[in-house]
Amino acid sequence: MAEAAAVAATEMTVEMVKASQLGMKALGAGIAVGLTGIGTGLAEMAIGSAAVGATAENKDIFGLVLLLTVIPETIVIFGLVVGLLLLF
Amino acid sequence: MFTPEGMTRVLITATKSQMEPVIRELYRQHLFHIEDFVEKDSKEYEGYRIGTPLPAANETSRQLIRLRGITGSFGIREDEDVSGSRKLNSAHLKQVVEKELPLLEQETEELLGKRAKIDAQIKEYEQKIDSLRPFQDVPFDLSLLRGLKMFSVLCGYISKPLSLDVPHEIFSSDTKKGKFITIVVPVKDRPTVDQALLEAQFQAVAIPDEEGIARDRIGFYESQILARKGEMEEINRKLHDIRTRHRDLFLACHELLTADVEMAEAPLRFATTGQSFVVEGWVPTQQLERLKEGIHYATGGKVFVYECDPSEFPESPPVEYRNPGFAKPTEMLMDVYSRPRYTELDPTLIVSIIFPIFFGIILGDVGYGAVLLALSLGLGRVMKGEEVQKLAAILRNASISSIVFGILFSEVFGFSLPWEPVLFSRHLNIGGHAGGHGPDVTGLMIMAIWIGILQITLGRLLGMVNHARQDHGSHRVKAVLANLGWIMVLWGILVMIWASFSMPLMPDLTGMAAVVPGLNLASVAGLVMIVLGVLFIVMDSPLEVVELPTIMSHVLSYARLVGVGLSSVAIAMVVNFIAIGLIIEPQLESLTALGIILIVIGGIVLVIGHLLNTVLGMLGGALQSLRLQYVEFFTKFYKGGGRKYNPFGMKKRFVED
Repeated sequence: MAEAAAVAATEMTVEMVKASQLGMKALGAGIAVGLTGIGTGLAEMAIGSAAVGATAENKDIFGLVLLLTVIPETIVIFGLVVGLLLLF
Repeated sequence: MFTPEGMTRVLITATKSQMEPVIRELYRQHLFHIEDFVEKDSKEYEGYRIGTPLPAANETSRQLIRLRGITGSFGIREDEDVSGSRKLNSAHLKQVVEKELPLLEQETEELLGKRAKIDAQIKEYEQKIDSLRPFQDVPFDLSLLRGLKMFSVLCGYISKPLSLDVPHEIFSSDTKKGKFITIVVPVKDRPTVDQALLEAQFQAVAIPDEEGIARDRIGFYESQILARKGEMEEINRKLHDIRTRHRDLFLACHELLTADVEMAEAPLRFATTGQSFVVEGWVPTQQLERLKEGIHYATGGKVFVYECDPSEFPESPPVEYRNPGFAKPTEMLMDVYSRPRYTELDPTLIVSIIFPIFFGIILGDVGYGAVLLALSLGLGRVMKGEEVQKLAAILRNASISSIVFGILFSEVFGFSLPWEPVLFSRHLNIGGHAGGHGPDVTGLMIMAIWIGILQITLGRLLGMVNHARQDHGSHRVKAVLANLGWIMVLWGILVMIWASFSMPLMPDLTGMAAVVPGLNLASVAGLVMIVLGVLFIVMDSPLEVVELPTIMSHVLSYARLVGVGLSSVAIAMVVNFIAIGLIIEPQLESLTALGIILIVIGGIVLVIGHLLNTVLGMLGGALQSLRLQYVEFFTKFYKGGGRKYNPFGMKKRFVED
């Protein structure tokens, strides 16, 4: 009996493989977006706090520091691109 | 169009007697950008000193400061909306400043003084009431509690029960802050009492210096406060009356006096000798004749105006934009980055076209576009001020582009319009609302990459033009070639990729004859381009080689056009799915009372969700597309750092000459 069960467990149908691959893709996409999101967050943390400080001293540079703050956004966008390419 | 307004360096000199007419004329024309004179030790400037203000400066400044005090207390701001009022004649205003204004100022100052006095009185009464409040239940005259020789009177709060074994009289009342006691004891027993009070956690309260029963006194002061408040209201009404009646007059006088002060202080920017003065500055070349004629007319020809050779001066000319009306609002976005230098290309027009397109690609949705269009039109209608108007115009263009792309993408609030997307589909399969075939991510990606390639190439081409215009000698050739090198590396990499992989929407060069195994004709051509390109770059500056990877990262950065756009679509579809698919639709099948409430909740979720997504989409669309201009596009050719053209004088809003 036990042998039969083990054989059944190792035998995978094509559908199962496809579904598992799809799951792996979804996981990969999730990890790509999630980790790059953390990366962007860490980078923007420092820039953002410096930007707020700088704006408090001189309001004129608000536009410029807003842009400096969004520069690390590229990282998460690459993650998003990888995620999208994985999924579709 | 792509260059700033042409400027001519002008030197004006005359005798000091002509100083005032010259200043007046320059101020009136509002054309002349004064270069401030700085006293230097150099030989050319020997004997020149900074000028002294015109005689009227002191008196006018004094009047202006006084007027500013008044307008400040009325809360009148210079940028106030005065669309209904007409301009006042300056000669008439001068008389007003001399005669009426001092009276008005005196009246206002008196009223303000009275108001301050009443305010102080009210505060004083309130303090008195505060000190009387603990005694409000004490039924005897407060004067009886003071000035006793044989007895001590102690008043205050206790928080624990008090036990006294000496003769005493006590009156206690419960208040919000605890038990308030008034206790009278013989002076000789005071130490014992103090000890007992300490144990009862006694907090002493000073006996107020009042005659009569506390409750009556409180009533008296309250009636006094009421009376003072009445007087205050009367004064406020009078002040408000003055404000409404004379606001335009105040604003006009303020403008007139500001102009007078600026004119009177202008000589501080001039170079003067004992008998003459010299002032240098810039004037738009097209307006030069007008300036000359005006000054000659104002002084009866007793002035010398000289056009200088700008190359003799270290300062570069100030920069005034010269763009068609369509691109004017975008100048604001340029100023946020940095104003172009006089000698470099002004990319405002390019940005004013590309920015809305990028915004539309990111937020291509008819619904959101319409909401933002309404918002921008409303903003433009309601808010005054140049900056806001420009911002509204930028948003308007962007939202129109958003609507156009929404039609092409066939999207409205995350739903699809009744036709198939003309461009690539961005419809996701969320909650079964999509058209079915899902988004064409590959197509969208390649479109974004193409946009990146084209814009970066354009940037480098502009860089070549800029270097050709600005640089000199051998550096000029090297810098132009370096920019060409960057283009060649970019396109070389592309050709090599096309030679190796076949991709949709990109040229397919895989079928070309192989030269050596693994490399076909196109690959070799690409390789040659890359090598040549790198060579050109190294010739200009070897350090630049470390920047080579940015070619890839900058092109790929344009993928945000798709990424941010798709995330916006995803949020919209998820909101629709939650609100309609999960909350509203199941209730519609069998309507109950609870069902109706749930439908309302679903509606709220729908509205809030889309509102949030509109804001996110606007911020995302604007910031991301702006960033592509600033970081990916401008770094290829644009330096900025030009000085703003700031002509002497002002645009009069309230005064006419």
